[in-house]
Amino acid sequence: MNRLGEKLLIAFSWISGITLVSVVFFIVGHLIFKGIRAINLKLIFGETRPLDALLLRKQVFHGLFPAMMGTFLLVVLSVGLAAPVGLASGIYLAEYAQGKVRKIVNFFFDILATIPSIVIGLTGFSVAVFLHQHYSKQIYPCLLISSLSLSFLVLPYIIRSTQVSLESLPLNTRLTALALGGTRVQNILYVLVPQSLSGILSGLILAIGRCAEDTAVIMLTGVVATAGLPRSVLAPYEALPFYIYYISSEYSSPEELLTGYGASIILLIICMTLFLFAFIVKRRIIWQTFYHL
Amino acid sequence: MNKPVKIRTTNLCFSYYNHPVLQDVTLQFFENSLTAIVGPSGVGKSTFLMTLNRLWEEIPGARMKGRIEIKFNGSFHDIYARSYSLPQLRRAVGMVFQVPNPLPMSIFKNIALPLKLAGIRDRSLISYKVEQALKRAYLWEEVKDRLTDSALKLSGGQQQRLCIARALILEPEVLLVDEPTSSLDGKAASVIEELLLSLREHCTILAVSHYWDQVKRIADVVVELSNSHHQSNIYHHQKPQPV
Repeated sequence: MNRLGEKLLIAFSWISGITLVSVVFFIVGHLIFKGIRAINLKLIFGETRPLDALLLRKQVFHGLFPAMMGTFLLVVLSVGLAAPVGLASGIYLAEYAQGKVRKIVNFFFDILATIPSIVIGLTGFSVAVFLHQHYSKQIYPCLLISSLSLSFLVLPYIIRSTQVSLESLPLNTRLTALALGGTRVQNILYVLVPQSLSGILSGLILAIGRCAEDTAVIMLTGVVATAGLPRSVLAPYEALPFYIYYISSEYSSPEELLTGYGASIILLIICMTLFLFAFIVKRRIIWQTFYHL
Repeated sequence: MNKPVKIRTTNLCFSYYNHPVLQDVTLQFFENSLTAIVGPSGVGKSTFLMTLNRLWEEIPGARMKGRIEIKFNGSFHDIYARSYSLPQLRRAVGMVFQVPNPLPMSIFKNIALPLKLAGIRDRSLISYKVEQALKRAYLWEEVKDRLTDSALKLSGGQQQRLCIARALILEPEVLLVDEPTSSLDGKAASVIEELLLSLREHCTILAVSHYWDQVKRIADVVVELSNSHHQSNIYHHQKPQPV
């Protein structure tokens, strides 16, 4: 490549980096600028006293608290369901699957990764309807159905990040424990997976973000505008992205639209908190396995 | 040499993706001696070491034929026999790689890893063995006050001695060493050489080396591998015992 081409490439890389950073600043700044005024205890708890709401003594009306709890539970349930399956599948694909089986599994995996969320939502809805008609009249679209559908939506992120980070470990690292008399399972548990935690974590973070922001799946599988706190996993629930969606499409006053911005900021904070939690857990695991005496 | 035979290989053939590397290699190695394996690059020296702990089985595209027997507890065992336990073999046949490969964990955890893999949980026994292994590898004095530091903070020579200590902690009867000093400076290399000489009384050492002067300093027996017309040729050089 000639010198001009090299300079252009460097310039392009810089512009890309700067664009990325400025877009993030623009979106977050815009949200805060518009929505910070809307954020107060009344937005979250309505007319109920915060302590009563937090201790679940009183219901919250006209506040975001049920939607926050709904989103939080949804994310924790979905990622909680998807993570073990995703980890195991990723480990299988990276360490065990070979030849034809590996090709076939990878093919199905690619199909799963390309299914649009609205299709997954529709499938979840059909399952709920089927169960309602053939199994129990008590079953409606609910938190559990939503979580299951979402976990299928985010499974590919977790599988792929686990698989790729395991596969990218150098041969040197892979052979170390084996040469010292470790079995394959020991090698995976004690060396390979702990070594890949950063990559696995980035997949989990993507999954958390995806579960927190998705509206298509939950709209069809159990979210409602007013439900209060979900009474069980088999009950309908509220969620922040759905609230933002319907407020911004049906607001009747500027004040009401403002609450949508407030809800967006809260959604962002919930995601950040979950990321931070995942990061701390990772640090903790690494310290525990690699440095703690 | 009148020491008893520890390892014998018979008609060993090896290939990567049908490309032959070793052809018909028949050799013997003696107990408590240090055998240097020399020869040009690509002749299969490292591969040969990996046939002795079956590590090549983890590498895609590799195939082997032939027979390898190692004497454990007074009798020869075919290490490729179906009934032979692979982890047990690799505990008895330790290996040190060309590039030091400490894992990104504390010094202590690195050395204790083989014990963990062997299922040993007794903490005081682990501490004792870690100290012994570090002492045998001439590393104890340098690291005893920072055992919880990351092993990656050590210098190259220290890392290689750490890897030797890690291989020694299970008290292997055979130690395979693949160009242990190739990534080190002269001073660190001579420490490793001295260390290998001192280990000879505990185990049978097979060391791949590129440097003839090093071979002259440390080896009891020299085996030269060369490759011509897809044929592995073996030359034995007997050396008088170093004084």
